[in-house]
Formats: sequence, C-alpha cells, structure tokens
Amino acid sequence: MTLRLTWLLLRKDLVVAVRAPEVLGFMLLFALLCVVLFAFGFLRAGAAAAAQVPGVLWVTLLFSGTVGLLRLFAPEEEGGVLVQAQRTRRGALPLFLSKAALQLAFTGVVAAITLPAVLVFFDAELREPVVVLAALALGLFGQAVLGTLCAALLVHVRLREVMLPLLLYPLLAPVLLAGVQVTVLAQDDAGSDATTGWLVLMAAFDVAVAIVAPWLHEKVSRG
Amino acid sequence: MTGAVTHSRTPTTLLAAVAGVTALWLAALYAIVLVAQPDAILGIVQKVFYVHVAAAFAMLICLSAGSVASLVDLLQPNDRIDAAARALVDTGVLFALAVLTTGPLWARKSWGMWWTWEPRLTLTLLVLLIAVGVLAVRTLAPPGPAGRRVGAALATLAAPTAYLIHVAVQRWGGTHPQVIQGGGIQSPGMRLAFWVTVAAMLGLAAVVTTLRYRVARLEDAVVALRLDLSARDLRRARTAAREPVS
Repeated sequence: MTLRLTWLLLRKDLVVAVRAPEVLGFMLLFALLCVVLFAFGFLRAGAAAAAQVPGVLWVTLLFSGTVGLLRLFAPEEEGGVLVQAQRTRRGALPLFLSKAALQLAFTGVVAAITLPAVLVFFDAELREPVVVLAALALGLFGQAVLGTLCAALLVHVRLREVMLPLLLYPLLAPVLLAGVQVTVLAQDDAGSDATTGWLVLMAAFDVAVAIVAPWLHEKVSRG
Repeated sequence: MTGAVTHSRTPTTLLAAVAGVTALWLAALYAIVLVAQPDAILGIVQKVFYVHVAAAFAMLICLSAGSVASLVDLLQPNDRIDAAARALVDTGVLFALAVLTTGPLWARKSWGMWWTWEPRLTLTLLVLLIAVGVLAVRTLAPPGPAGRRVGAALATLAAPTAYLIHVAVQRWGGTHPQVIQGGGIQSPGMRLAFWVTVAAMLGLAAVVTTLRYRVARLEDAVVALRLDLSARDLRRARTAAREPVS
C-alpha cells in the first residue's frame, strides 16, 4: 500500500515533469553554466585541465541538485495539499519516498549529461568509468535523500532558498569528499583499496540517511 | 506561564555560581601565566593550548548534549528540554568560535601557517557551519510546535552526520598535535594549569547555558502571552460583532 501510494505520487510528478519540464531544464542549464564558470575560474594556461575534473563534476552536481530541491514540494504547496499529502493513512512516508525518487531521477539525468560534458570540456578520460558510475549512484542517492529531508523541513521556514544550501552542503561534506577522491583515483587508475574505502563510506552514509531521514520526516510532519 | 515570568529574578544560587566560575578563572589565569612553565620548543605561545583545548571540550559537550536534548524533545515534547537544547547549541557555537580563534593563533607559531585542512580543523569548521545553520533555522522557523520540531529534527540529524564527517575527513588528510592521546602532559605545572582551565571553561559553559536557558524560557513565555492576547482580542471582536448596534 505504501509502495503503491508512493508510485502514484511519483507517477503524478513524472507526468508533470514530462509535460512541463522547466525544473529539469533549469537544472541542466544551471549545471552547464557551473561547468563554464568553473572552467573560467580554474583553467590555467600550461596546466592540465583534466586535474580539475573531479572537483568540477561533483560541485556542479551538488549545486544543480539544489535547484531541483527548491522546487521539489512546490506542486503540493501551490496546490495547497502539502499537509494532506503528509497526513495520508500511510503517514508521510509515501510523499517522502516519491519526492526522493523524483529528485534522484532528476539528478541522474543531470549527471548523465554533465559527466560527458565535463570530460569533453576539460579534455579528460576516465580509466575506471564503472567506479565513477558507482560513486555517482551512491552519491546522488545520499544527496537526494538528505536533500529531500532538508527541503521538506524547510518548507515553512523563512528564507529557505538561502537556508537550504547553507544546511545541506556541510551535511553532504562526506559525499563530496568521497566522490571527488574516487574520481581522482579513477583518473589515475591507482589504489583500488582506497577506492573501496571511499565507496564503503558513501554506502554507509546512504544507509544512515535512508534510515534517519524518513523517520525524521515522519516525526516532523505528524508531530 | 506565570511561573516562567516570576523565576526571572536572578536567584542567589546562580549568582554564587557566577562568583565561583570567576574565582576558577582567576585561578586558571594564575596557573597558566605563573605556574605552568613555558614550552621548551614553542615558548610562550604554547599557553594558548590551555584555553584552546578547554574550549574544544566545552564545545563538544554543549553540542552533543544539545543534539541529544533535541532528540529527546522530538520523541517526547517538553518545553524545558526544548529550551535547554536551544541554550546548549547557542553556547556550543560560542565555544566553537573560541576554538577556531585560538587554534590559528597557535598553528601560526607551531605549524607556520594560520590554517591547514587537517581533519580536526575541518571537522570543527563544518560542525560550526552546521550548528549556525540549525540556529538560523530555529530563528526563521514559524513559531509553534511545527517550527520547533523542524529545529529539533535538524539538531538531531547533526550528530550522526558529524560522526560521518569525522570519518570522511580522517581519510581525507591529516598534523594535529596529539597531546592528550600521546602520553599526556608530562610537567606537573602544565597539568595543573590544564585541568584548572578545563574546570573554569566547563563552569563558564554551564553558567552561560543556564543564563541562555532562562532567556529561552522567557522568550517562550512572551510568545505564549502574545498568543493569549490575540486570542482574547479575537473573542472580544467576535462578541462585539454579535451584539446589536444600539
């Protein structure tokens, strides 16, 4: 029942996203803009551009993810049904799961386009693409779950557009550190032990937020 | 309600505590300046160590206790525990600022640079950022139980995340002086100065937290009085509207 309700909510959001793809479009444009700005900010004549790839890739995904998070609960809010959606008989869990899944889908699309774009723009190649894809999957999952929680908590808070990144970025520091390190190691194809360590850390982060975030969301939504 | 207002007069026990902490601080300053020998290698700048580490203890205790208190308030809403959680996080931020001010003063002399991305520095900076974020959300959240739960949830979330950040920055890089873990302080004078300063700092933290807690309780009382007042105005307006115009 919870899963069915989750799927119904997610399908509704996906239909909206297909018919009016503004949010995803803004996320993609913003990601592209970030890559361009980072190129202006970090490229030096005579220095290898490829060395900047891990940082540019992960920070771009972190920044563009926030654009989606800020609009994540907008349909329910603007329709005036947020409280009702949180107070279904199955609790707030279906709403939380569907929003986290939607955010994961959006950031997945953005990553699928940003990764090749960064590699092309910074003239780089990945020797271990599978490892980077695994890190992206783990990292985007953690970002989507924790980000959905923060977005949900801040729905009624003043200045939430400012507060969301202020809260979320320090909390996501482990994901960013691990993602960048895995990508650095994948470029050099060195140290599989170190890579495994970072991936385990990301997986541990994902498990922790997957347990804590829905519970906190339920607690805050229903009292 | 009226209880919260009447106990606002500073009680003698709190004044006694303030006097005690002041005496402890005078003793700590005496011990730091005159009892503890200057460090053989680092010289006089090493003396900032006493304040730095003691402030770090106070920060750690306040923020951990604030996170736990938030969790308790989330599970079993209680006005006093909520006020205590807010007071503890506020005080924790104060001591985090002290740690991040005294740290670079010491680092400049002993490592030759103001800042380095060493695990404990990175962790302290990130924890400060998270704690300030929690404080800001508590201020900006709508008044009432829903807004209060948002602040409590974020403060609860901060503790496990801080642990994961700790693990991540440990892997990421690492030259912090390992004074306490690595054999401890050898000189008895230094040891005395250290523990007296720790006691003084924790006493200060307790006093500041208590004062902040009293202010938090008064703030809650003001919000409740405002709500009472607007409810009364509403009732009056409603009765006036029902009465026929004479």
